[in-house]
Amino acid sequence: MQVSRRSFLEYCGLSAAFIGLGSSKLGLLAEALAAPNAPSVIWLHGSSCTGDSISFLNRISDAFPATVADVLTGAVNLVFHATLMTPAGDAAVSELKRVYDTGNYVLVLEGGVPTAFRGGACVVYSLNGQETTYMQAVQEMSARALAVVCAGTCASFGGIPASGGNPTGVKSVRALTGRATINISGCPANPDWVVWAIVQLLTGTPVELDADGRPTALYAKRLSGAAAPSLIHDKCPRNNLVNPGAPPEATSFTNCDGRCTIQLGCRGPFTKSRCDGQWNAKATDPNSPPNQRWRNNWCVGVNANCHGCVEKAFPGPQSFYEPYVL
Amino acid sequence: MPIIVAAIDPVTRIEGHLKVDIAVDTVGGVQQVTGVRTMGTLFRGFEKILEGRDPRDAAIITSRICGVCPTSHAQAAVLALEDASGMAVPGPARILRNLVHGACFLESHILHFYLLSLPDYIQGLGMPPWTPGFEADRRVDKAASELFTAHYLEAITVRRRCHEIGALFGGKLPHTPAYIAGGFTAVPSQPNLDAFGAGLDEILAFINTRYLPDVERLSSLYSDYFFVGRGYGNLLAYGAFDQDGSGTDRLFRAGRVVNGAGAVLPVDAAAIAEDVTHAWYRNADSGLHPAAGETNAEYPKADAYSWLKAPRYGGTPHECGPLARMWVSGEYTNGVSVMDRIRARAYEALKLARAMKAWHAELLAGDVTVTADWPSPAPAGVAGTGLTEAPRGALGHWLSIGDNGKIARYQVITPTCWTVSPRDGAGQAGPLEQALLGTPVANAAQPVEALRVIHSVDPCLDCATHVMTAGEARAEGLAG
Repeated sequence: MQVSRRSFLEYCGLSAAFIGLGSSKLGLLAEALAAPNAPSVIWLHGSSCTGDSISFLNRISDAFPATVADVLTGAVNLVFHATLMTPAGDAAVSELKRVYDTGNYVLVLEGGVPTAFRGGACVVYSLNGQETTYMQAVQEMSARALAVVCAGTCASFGGIPASGGNPTGVKSVRALTGRATINISGCPANPDWVVWAIVQLLTGTPVELDADGRPTALYAKRLSGAAAPSLIHDKCPRNNLVNPGAPPEATSFTNCDGRCTIQLGCRGPFTKSRCDGQWNAKATDPNSPPNQRWRNNWCVGVNANCHGCVEKAFPGPQSFYEPYVL
Repeated sequence: MPIIVAAIDPVTRIEGHLKVDIAVDTVGGVQQVTGVRTMGTLFRGFEKILEGRDPRDAAIITSRICGVCPTSHAQAAVLALEDASGMAVPGPARILRNLVHGACFLESHILHFYLLSLPDYIQGLGMPPWTPGFEADRRVDKAASELFTAHYLEAITVRRRCHEIGALFGGKLPHTPAYIAGGFTAVPSQPNLDAFGAGLDEILAFINTRYLPDVERLSSLYSDYFFVGRGYGNLLAYGAFDQDGSGTDRLFRAGRVVNGAGAVLPVDAAAIAEDVTHAWYRNADSGLHPAAGETNAEYPKADAYSWLKAPRYGGTPHECGPLARMWVSGEYTNGVSVMDRIRARAYEALKLARAMKAWHAELLAGDVTVTADWPSPAPAGVAGTGLTEAPRGALGHWLSIGDNGKIARYQVITPTCWTVSPRDGAGQAGPLEQALLGTPVANAAQPVEALRVIHSVDPCLDCATHVMTAGEARAEGLAG
């Protein structure tokens, strides 16, 4: 397998229009990746379902000759990722420790942090016979990291494990540590958004965040940077204010094909997200008209409700199938 | 020779958090595993999270138990909801569920062989996350290793394609919103049907030209692994992939086999109970049927070392997964071992992909996939069960709806709870614990042989929703 850092750059170049990278940024990225002391990436799982990792594999390998394999072999020095790495046990933890000691790493966290039982509801590894909880690991490793990326809603906001009675006392990474995190929410996180965040960090680009720690470039603006409707509903082709040709709102799942499902519980009017044709397929041009932009997969595209999975309020106590009230 | 105790923590290349303690000693001149404890180290308490919610939310919430088998949970949840409400499912919706669920099965099986298992046998690429590799027991020459590595990289693409075709009808994967009680939200369009068919053909070609030959190549190089990791030989399957509306005619049949021999026995869900003697739950709740199950943590607790409950069928430990399914369907009865599990999984992928082609051919653009909404007034004071299969084995959801129409009780028994369960009150080891006993280990500092056994059952600790760390109560010696 040829090391193909170039393929990764090709990926970034091809998706530059979609992730807002100019050519000068690509030059910086090339420089950063070529540097012998380029930061490593450590990816830890907490109270998660591994869905953000699976999603990461899904998207980054799409649309170009390069696959995720190119990224792993040529672009990102992923020294710890429990689902993918060959070494296990002590050998795996030694790698982690070695990079931790240098401090030269970007920390990606998937999963909220259980705080009940003194953190004992999630143990991530043992070192010298001593168990380390995710809570401990997040505190220690985030303190020394160059930056912390939260992949998914659980690490960003707590998500489903923190809902209801929150039986394990799950907190978001930010709530636990008090440190700034780059929150790439979504259940799962869209892989393009995760890649975008890592690229910004590798190129030393400042990332503007909203009040919930999410990059405004991903959640609150057009990809061009211009102001734009950020709510799903305000750009949905099933909303006849957006698309005058849209049929009337559905009143039942028996008549929902092609129709707005706001009366059936769609949270699109309350959800700021750029799901625009981004799921499990090559991203479509975000500047195209809505009825073309949405030609790819997304929840609403299959007549289902948007469940608002990128939002801090997800899942909340309300039914997913009754009209949503903020 | 003194007994060596080694902790493998984390066990990597699985989903979720697993720690395995092994004791290694020389018996009859062979250094081998003589004691073992398998411990999940994550507890989220989904059952408690679901209490009080709208029952319809169950498919959305339980999907998030696992990012690798979200559709298995969604399927189990809608089956439980339909059992409780009496809703019927239109034929095209049943087929779309099968296709999206099937796509996730194929994704999981391909992921499992190439990304999760193969690094136990081949060197792989010389950089993180594949280094350092294992030095012990390498038998693959350079040419074969390069072939396996090339196919590993292809597999990354093909597993992605599996999710892409599933998302044509599921909207997004993982975590589709399309499974609803009484149907499936998507309506097939001709472009999506065409794209699905083309993608499925690509995946089928990969299974035929890569996956199956690679599995046979590996099993001939490591043929001794037909005699490693047997365990009890008790196999359990609930069955999955309804072929019609009856709920009983399934592509994967339900059945049970005792000690790897004899007739296939029927499965009676009433015979299932969860023992919590060695799990972090109140002993008062031990031995309950899941429909009456409780999830009440007790931490610390004497003699407990895992927060996985121990499901037992008629008091007996069972493993589940592709080998169990292929065995009860009469299509793979070669034996119970590491290599048999790997081979059965591959042949099951072929069988499923072929069936998916036939189901796909039954669909027409515009087919109706929902004919009724959740009843109004909402079902109240009723219960339902959803039994299906996840890629790694039997999955059950047990639901009770209270008089207020909300979820009163929800219990999930995942395949990993069956297979990676701890000991029970009768002192019987969990199936994976039993399978690990006697595994030869050349170098206790690099117990790759034990990892091969562990990976053969494809553990998913994300799914094992009851799991939590054992903490200080693990101080006593390892039991054999």
